[in-house]
Amino acid sequence: MGEAILFTLFSVSAVVFSLGMVFRRNAVHCALHLVGVLLSLSGMFVLLHAQFIAAIQILVYAGAIMVLFLFVVMLLNVRGETPLLTPGAAKGFGFLFAFIVFVELLWVVVSQGGSEAEPAPVRVLPPGFGSPAEIGRILYTTWLFPFEVTSILLMIAVVGAVVLAKRKFA
Amino acid sequence: METVGVPTQYYQLVAALLFTIGLVGVLVRRSALIIFMSIELMLNAVNLSFVAFSRQHGQMDGQIFVFFVMAVAAAEAGVGLAIILAVFRHKQSVSLQNMNLLKD
Amino acid sequence: MIESAVKVLIVLGFVLIAVPFIVWMERKVIGHMQDRIGPQRVGPFGLLQTIADGIKLFFKEDLIPSQADRVVFFLAPALSVITAFVALSVVPFGDKVTVFGREVPLHVADVNVAILWVLGTTSMGVYGIVLGGWASNSKYPLLGGLRSSAQMISYELAQGISLVSVILMTGTLSLAGIVRQQEHLWFIVPQFFAFVIFLLCGIAETNRAPFDLPEAETELVAGFHTEFSSMKFALYFLAEYANMMVVSAVAISVFFGGWRGPFLPPVAWFLIKLSLFLFFFVWLRATFPRLRYDQLMAFGWKVLLPASLLNLAVTAVVVALSG
Repeated sequence: MGEAILFTLFSVSAVVFSLGMVFRRNAVHCALHLVGVLLSLSGMFVLLHAQFIAAIQILVYAGAIMVLFLFVVMLLNVRGETPLLTPGAAKGFGFLFAFIVFVELLWVVVSQGGSEAEPAPVRVLPPGFGSPAEIGRILYTTWLFPFEVTSILLMIAVVGAVVLAKRKFA
Repeated sequence: METVGVPTQYYQLVAALLFTIGLVGVLVRRSALIIFMSIELMLNAVNLSFVAFSRQHGQMDGQIFVFFVMAVAAAEAGVGLAIILAVFRHKQSVSLQNMNLLKD
Repeated sequence: MIESAVKVLIVLGFVLIAVPFIVWMERKVIGHMQDRIGPQRVGPFGLLQTIADGIKLFFKEDLIPSQADRVVFFLAPALSVITAFVALSVVPFGDKVTVFGREVPLHVADVNVAILWVLGTTSMGVYGIVLGGWASNSKYPLLGGLRSSAQMISYELAQGISLVSVILMTGTLSLAGIVRQQEHLWFIVPQFFAFVIFLLCGIAETNRAPFDLPEAETELVAGFHTEFSSMKFALYFLAEYANMMVVSAVAISVFFGGWRGPFLPPVAWFLIKLSLFLFFFVWLRATFPRLRYDQLMAFGWKVLLPASLLNLAVTAVVVALSG
């Protein structure tokens, strides 16, 4: 019961913030709306027994990546562009295509589970599901190779970002 | 621990909705920064989908995937913003219609 | 449910009452360290000085710069205060007490990822500063806000890694659990370097001297809170001291045994340790000149981060070898 109320709250706020993000003119407002989406999603992760992922979402995504976005927006001093959306036919095609994708996704979601009478069976979760201990255990045993590759990827990204953003000394 | 509650379909529905809204943002907006943010929104919608499925099947692999998606998103945000910065230095604008050097 | 609400009100009330006291203590202590007396006229020993300042701030005109973004201008100080108070919700103030026949643990929430929660909310605190600097629509606050937030996110890393060294030893992320494990030995003894790193990062996180270049009065006018007047400035002020309390409370819980101590009740010991930490913060402000911004960033990235990683590696080896 509590989960249903919180789910409704978080999902409505996530959708409202995301609509605000896509359709606002001021870039800083868009970034703040995206932070709102991230916080709502973090709440939903807690409902889904993913406490570590929820905390990491706040720490990394909302706390670091979005701050980086905000820095770039503020440094570039981006003003809102005057026609907000792409002019002409491209706008119509864009909305149509997105609508088609949504219908497809909806069809997949609805056809996959049971009807309202019998919801899809949910397993009993093992104890410690979603806890940092469990994530650490799996991350360093089953998923060790992707973990190491990700660390190399992050290093590449750091080097790439520094090289790309540096001013060339004339 | 028994988990009855909101069925997974509802979470998938929200994820699909967020994904579509992000897709609209990518297709329809003109500022490179806003498009980048819409891509992040799409990534987050996929994260939600993964975590919901992870709970449904009772396996942690979905959450590990989300972990990696976040790490890759961080790397992508860093490099992407550096690219936007570099382009801005030349064009003094982030509007996509000015980034047409490869067009004939 | 009721007990959580009561605990929230108690913590809120405590911080709101303690902050004027801390401000008074700071002005008196810095005054005496600088061979002068500090406030002495308003109330006995100048105790009511902060309240007088608060009343003055309340009645001041609330200026908003002309082209400022109103919503964000209003939101930024609120964000700073909210994140500071929310981080305090997982700190254990004392052991269990029995009230009306029920055992009530003395923390607002026992989250099993409490340390991640504190780190997460302090990283959300960056928004209060960077948005405050931007919303003022003026050069100096923008630069001050950007500098301050860059400083904060740089020092968050070493702070988190220094805490991870302790978590390796305890096996739990919950602050109440960490305090419970310090029955025989406070973690300051095996993890002294982690404590030093954590404390230095904490001072940088709260923008206190000697890391307070972004908000110093002689540089960049007053940094990110230049354009804020009246209650908004008071909120930023409150947020800074509440953040100091968060850093002190986490350091006490993780390194100094939390509420443990002989004879006196646990809450009294927590308050004594908290007072000592806050005095230390004030003492640092009175003693050291501030670091230049490039020195500050170099220190965080080139000294503290490798040191915390080294500490983590050594701790990991020792823990693995000893079983």
